[in-house]
Amino acid sequence: MNINGLSFNALPPIDLPFRFFLTAPLFVILCALLILFSGETLWISRWHPYMLALTHGFTLGFLSMVMMGALLQLLPVIGGIGITKPRKITYFCHTSLVLGTLCLMANFIWPNTVLGFSSLILLVCSLGTYFIAFTLVLLKKLSQGDSIIGFRLAMTALLIVLLMGVILLSQRFELLEFSHTGKELTNNHALFGLAGWGSILIISVSFQVIPMFHVAPSFPKIISHYLPSFLFFLLVLSIFKPTVVAPFIVLTHGVFALSLLFVISKRKRKIPDSTIRFWQLAAFTLVGLNIFYFIPDKYLPSHVAQQKTLLIACCYLYFYLMAVIQGMLLKILPFLSYTHLQQKCLMNFAAMQAIPHMHEFLNKKHAQWLFYLHIATGGILLLTLMMPSTYWLLSLLLFTEFSWLLYLMSKTVRLYFATLTKVNLSVNA
Amino acid sequence: MTSIPEFMTTKHRECDEFFTDAEAAVAKADWSLALTKWQSFALELSKHFSQEEDTLFPKFEQATGMTSGPTQVMRMEHQQMRALVQDLDNALAAKNKDEYLGLSETLMVMMQQHNMKEEMMLYPMMDQNISDGEQIIEQFKTN
Repeated sequence: MNINGLSFNALPPIDLPFRFFLTAPLFVILCALLILFSGETLWISRWHPYMLALTHGFTLGFLSMVMMGALLQLLPVIGGIGITKPRKITYFCHTSLVLGTLCLMANFIWPNTVLGFSSLILLVCSLGTYFIAFTLVLLKKLSQGDSIIGFRLAMTALLIVLLMGVILLSQRFELLEFSHTGKELTNNHALFGLAGWGSILIISVSFQVIPMFHVAPSFPKIISHYLPSFLFFLLVLSIFKPTVVAPFIVLTHGVFALSLLFVISKRKRKIPDSTIRFWQLAAFTLVGLNIFYFIPDKYLPSHVAQQKTLLIACCYLYFYLMAVIQGMLLKILPFLSYTHLQQKCLMNFAAMQAIPHMHEFLNKKHAQWLFYLHIATGGILLLTLMMPSTYWLLSLLLFTEFSWLLYLMSKTVRLYFATLTKVNLSVNA
Repeated sequence: MTSIPEFMTTKHRECDEFFTDAEAAVAKADWSLALTKWQSFALELSKHFSQEEDTLFPKFEQATGMTSGPTQVMRMEHQQMRALVQDLDNALAAKNKDEYLGLSETLMVMMQQHNMKEEMMLYPMMDQNISDGEQIIEQFKTN
């Protein structure tokens, strides 16, 4: 088990990460409505304004939202120190991220200067403040664990994504002129966002949480020590030589997937668990994407070959990044709820009886349904890329899946606060 | 000669092994195997707690003068884990699979967090401050 870098620490107030987690599914529900009302035209091209609104709803509204909340909690646990003034910074970053993402999505659909400038300012304030707050901690001499190195790289990727985003948005208002063509910059922006900020963070977190929650061995040293840095190096190279570097980025993900499957297969806890299923789904997706990527287009049906890039991007987003994040939420929410309550009961042993167990916080069967819904929605997403007329079914499934996730999370949070009241009464008695 | 961190960390892993075996047996409703593994776990855990509470913690407190610091938190967490072990005993006796698995996931999370604190902070501090650490471990091995 990986214990390097974990220490005694005071956890930040639980309502701070909860705030991010509970907002995230609302953005996907909004995306489901956008899919429903924009119809088949949305699926014509990745450059369609509605498609741009959709991708930012998923990546900023859901992925970044959850990751920012999770890092608040993970950094003090793994690095030993949290950010200073977490409440003020969280309130500010969360509110400006929500408003900024909404303005950005709206600006893609109804382009106008007010929306464009508002989104630019709000997102720079949100992500910029978050970056500075975390960088101030990450620059300190923390335990030099592999996860911390990965966090530093992921935060740097976030800064690069933000800067590229600012340039792209400024170009729309003709504020800035760059020699880079819009498409190249957009590709780099997407690549750093998904494979840098998203993937490097997930990979780094996996080094810590898989051994901990599933009693598995540590990842091979060569993977945990070098893979995140190598991936980051490839992403930087890809700015200059995108076509040469792209296969190596795919292969690096394949190597991670195989080591993930190896570590999971060696875990001691083998009882059925939805989080592990989400991790396995992610790993098999990355292996599958490697095979698909390297099949020459001439061996693929023409309509599949035409949509190859979009298919890869959607699989990567839905079956890898979003799968892992949902799996992690299923574990993190009951874990945080229990741990916070348990810490409150250290001085009052009797109050501990009031704390529900992990499965009461989040029912295992309910978690399983979320996994099946995710598979169904992802399958229909791929179908819709090939056959846009199924958009309404995708919208319905997305709406159902993320309403279900929201319901599960709200239930956990409600139980947490109800139990907290009982524990406080018992402590004060 | 074995150091305190080395020996105590190995014991954590041994406990994990019994614990996960018991949990897997319950998941398959193999109650007799579950009972055997669970009893081995409970025995090892109780022995481990006693070695810490009766010997290592007092030695550490004596050497450092820290009586209300990490060792006190660890003692309180031991108490909490003992309570969960009791609940798990009851769930096993009642052959209540769902209750057992919910409680076992909870105890697992608590144990892993607790172990991390000990392995990361407390054991290395003990190694530095308790001069006869290796002799103590030799005694543990013979008991």
